[in-house]
Amino acid sequence: MSYLWEQLHGAIPLIAHGDPYVMGLLWVTVRVAIVSTAAALLVGLPIGLALGLGRFRGRRALQILANASLALPPVVVGIGVLLLLLPRGALGSLQIEFSLTAVYIVQAILALPYIVALTPAAIQGLPPGLLAQARALGAGPVQLSALALREARIGVLAGVIAALAATISEVGAVVIVGGNFQGHDETLASALLEQFNYTAHEPYASAIGLVLLALIVLLAGALTVIQQRTGGIQLRFRTV
Amino acid sequence: MIDPSPLLRCEHLTVRRGRREVIRDVSAEFRAGEIVALLGPNGAGKSTLLDALAGALPAAGGRVERHGRVAIALQSPDLARRSVLSNVVLALAWWGVPRSERATRAREALRAIAAEHLAARPAATLSGGERRRVHLARAIAVRPDVLLLDEPFAGLDAEVRASLLEDALSALRSSARATLVVVHDRAEAWALADRLLIMLDGRLVASGPPRELLERPPSVEVARFLGFDGMLDDGREVVLTRPVHVVLDARGPLAGRVARAIPLEDGVRLELELDQGRLYTVASLPAPQPGEPVRVRLDGGVRFPAPHRAEAVERQFPAGNLGTP
Amino acid sequence: MRLIWDELGKALPLIFHGNPQLLAVIWFTLQVAGVATAAACVIGLPIGLALGLGRFRGRNVCRALANASLALPPVLVGVFLFVLFSPPAPLGFMHLIYTRRVVFIAQTILALPYVVALSAAAVQALPPGLLSQARLLGAGRLQLWALALREARIGVIAAVIAALGTSLSEVAAVTILGGNIYGYNQTLASATLYEVGGGYYADAVAIAIVLIAMILVLMGGLGVLQQQGNGIRMRFRSAA
Repeated sequence: MSYLWEQLHGAIPLIAHGDPYVMGLLWVTVRVAIVSTAAALLVGLPIGLALGLGRFRGRRALQILANASLALPPVVVGIGVLLLLLPRGALGSLQIEFSLTAVYIVQAILALPYIVALTPAAIQGLPPGLLAQARALGAGPVQLSALALREARIGVLAGVIAALAATISEVGAVVIVGGNFQGHDETLASALLEQFNYTAHEPYASAIGLVLLALIVLLAGALTVIQQRTGGIQLRFRTV
Repeated sequence: MIDPSPLLRCEHLTVRRGRREVIRDVSAEFRAGEIVALLGPNGAGKSTLLDALAGALPAAGGRVERHGRVAIALQSPDLARRSVLSNVVLALAWWGVPRSERATRAREALRAIAAEHLAARPAATLSGGERRRVHLARAIAVRPDVLLLDEPFAGLDAEVRASLLEDALSALRSSARATLVVVHDRAEAWALADRLLIMLDGRLVASGPPRELLERPPSVEVARFLGFDGMLDDGREVVLTRPVHVVLDARGPLAGRVARAIPLEDGVRLELELDQGRLYTVASLPAPQPGEPVRVRLDGGVRFPAPHRAEAVERQFPAGNLGTP
Repeated sequence: MRLIWDELGKALPLIFHGNPQLLAVIWFTLQVAGVATAAACVIGLPIGLALGLGRFRGRNVCRALANASLALPPVLVGVFLFVLFSPPAPLGFMHLIYTRRVVFIAQTILALPYVVALSAAAVQALPPGLLSQARLLGAGRLQLWALALREARIGVIAAVIAALGTSLSEVAAVTILGGNIYGYNQTLASATLYEVGGGYYADAVAIAIVLIAMILVLMGGLGVLQQQGNGIRMRFRSAA
C-alpha cells in the first residue's frame, strides 16, 4: 500500500501550491466544458424542444436518430472533424486544425446528442395531460416551450450535467483534433493520457487525476442531489 | 354452516407506519365460509389492516393468529407482460402449486370469474375491468384459506363494476375459505357481505350483519357513516334518520320548510329545515319548492341519548361522504 | 471536401479487400466487447437486481453511487488500474500492464456501471404492484428475479447494448493499460487514435468506418427493441 500512498503523496503539493501546469489544464478543461456545452445548448435546445413537443411526420424516426447519436464513438467524430479542418479539407481555409478552437468544435458536437436526446425524453416524461391541456387552452409554440422547459427542467438539467461530464472526460476526440499540444489545447483528461503514454509515474499524473476526479465528483454530486430531490418528491407523492 | 374455529384472528392489534399509529386496538375473527366487508373512509387504515393480517406489516402491539395460508390481492391490478392464462399460472407457481396442476386450476379460476374468454389475450391489451377480473382470478386460483381483497372494484365505472360484482359474488362464495373484502362503496358491502366491519380512524367501531347494523347502528358516528344524514335534537335525545325514514305527510307531526331541492333521476332530494335540526328525504315529483312549508312524519330512524349537540356531531361526523344517497 | 473523398477512396479498398491487420483488429475488438460485456452481465446483473428489488437499508445511497459511477471518466479508471497493477503496486505480481488480458479487464470494469445502474433503473420502473403481489403470493427470491428480468427485459437489453457500445468506443483506459500496441492489443477505437497520431489518415478512416458500422448495427437492434416495447405500450393505451 505504501506505493499507492507515494503516488498520492507526490501529488498533494502540486495541487496545494497551485502548480501552473495543473492549474492551466484545469482552466482549459473548465473553459472547454462550459463553452462547448453552452454551444450545444444553443443549437440543441430548440431541436430537443421540437422533437419533444412537435407533432410532425417523422418525429419518431428523428428521435430514434437522436438517441442513437449518443452512441457515436468520439474517435469517429474526431476523425471526421479533423478531415474537415485539415489544410486540404473543406474548412481548411480556417486554419484551426490542432488548436483549441478545434477542440471546442468537436466537444460541442459530442455534447450535442446529450441535449438533443435528453430534452425530449424529459418532456415526454411529463404528465401527458399537462401539455395537451395547455395546447387546448390555446398556448402558442413559445408558451408551450416555456412551460415544457419549466416543468421538465430537472431532466434538461440532467442532460446538461451529462454533457459537461462527457466533455470533461473525453480523450480520444480531443487528442485527434487538438494534437494534444502541452499547455495549449490539452485538457485534464487528455493530458492524463499523455502522461501515461510516455512518462509514466510522474507525480503530475496523480495530481491531474485527482483534480479531474474532483471535478467529476462535483458534477455527479450535483446530479445526485437533483435526482434525489425529484425522487423525494415522487416518494412523497406516492404515499399520499 | 359456519365452522366454529376461526381461520384468522387478531387481538388488540396495533400497527404503526413510521411513528403514527394507523391501527389501534383492533380485534376480529374470520371464519370459513363467510365473506366479510371492511368499510371505512379514505385513510381509516383499511389497507394497513389487510397488510398486518397478511403478515406483510409487523404488529406493534397485540397479535395475529393464522390457521392456514393467507393471500392478499393488492389494490393495483398490475399484471406481467404475458398472456392472461400465464399470469394466473405464474401466480400459482409463486404460491407453490405443482406444475402439473397449474394450467387446470388457472382455467378453473378464470371460468369462475367469467374471464375464460380472456385466457389467450396478452395482459397488456386488457381494459381496466378485465384487468380487475384477471387480478381476482389470480387470487381465487391459489385457493388460500383466508383471502384478503383490497378494493377489488376500485376505479371502475358503474356498469363494469356491477357486472364484476355479480360474477365475484358467486366466485368468492366458498365454504372452505374466509374472505375479507375492503370496499369503498356501501352498495358493494350490501351486495357481497355476510358481515360488515366498519373502521373509522384506525379503530373498529362496528361489526355485524349489514342489515342489523343499518337497523341498529351502535353509535352516532357509525350511523352517520352509514348514511344517517338527517338529525333532530330536542335536548333530551338525538334522532338520526336516513332519507327513507322521512316521509312527506300533510298530517305529520313535524313542521318545517324546504331549504334546498336537488333534482335526481326519479325525484327530488329535499333538505328540510326544522326547529330541532335538519332532515333529508327523497320526494317524488311534483315536489315542494324551496321556501315552501312542509309537514313530515318519521317512519323509522334511530335514537341516542343526547350528550351530543347537533353542531358538534355535524362537525365531528360529517354525513354522507361515501356511497350513494 | 476533396480530402474526405481522397481518404475514403483509399480507405474503402482496405475494408473490402480484407486487410489482415484490419481483420485482426476487428476480431480482437469483437472478442473484447463480447467477453467484457458478458463478464459485466454475470457480475452486474445480480447487483443491479438486488439494488432495484432489494429493501435493505442504504439502498438509496447504493443506487445513487451506481448512478454516479456512470459519470466516472474512463481515463481515470485507467489511471487508477494502472497504479494498482504497476509492478511495485499491490496487484503488480499479476503482470497485467501492456497485455491483452488487461484490455478485457479494463473494459469489463468500464461496462459494469452501465449494467448495474441501468438494470436497476429498469427494474425499479416496473409497476410496483406486480412485484409486491408476487411477494405476497409467496414468490421466492429466484422467482422474483426471474419475473423482474423478464418484465424489465427491454431496459435490461438496453443496458447490455450500452455496455457493448462503451466497450467498442472506449480508448482512454485501453490505451493507458494496454499501451495501444500495434498488431497486439488494439481495438478499433484505440487503433483509430494510433493511426491518426501517426498521420495514416486512410487507415484511420477505414477503421472508423468499420467501428461506426458496428455501432449502427447495435443501435439498430436497440431501436427495433424499443419500437416493440412502445408498440406494446401503445396498444395498451388505446385499449384502456
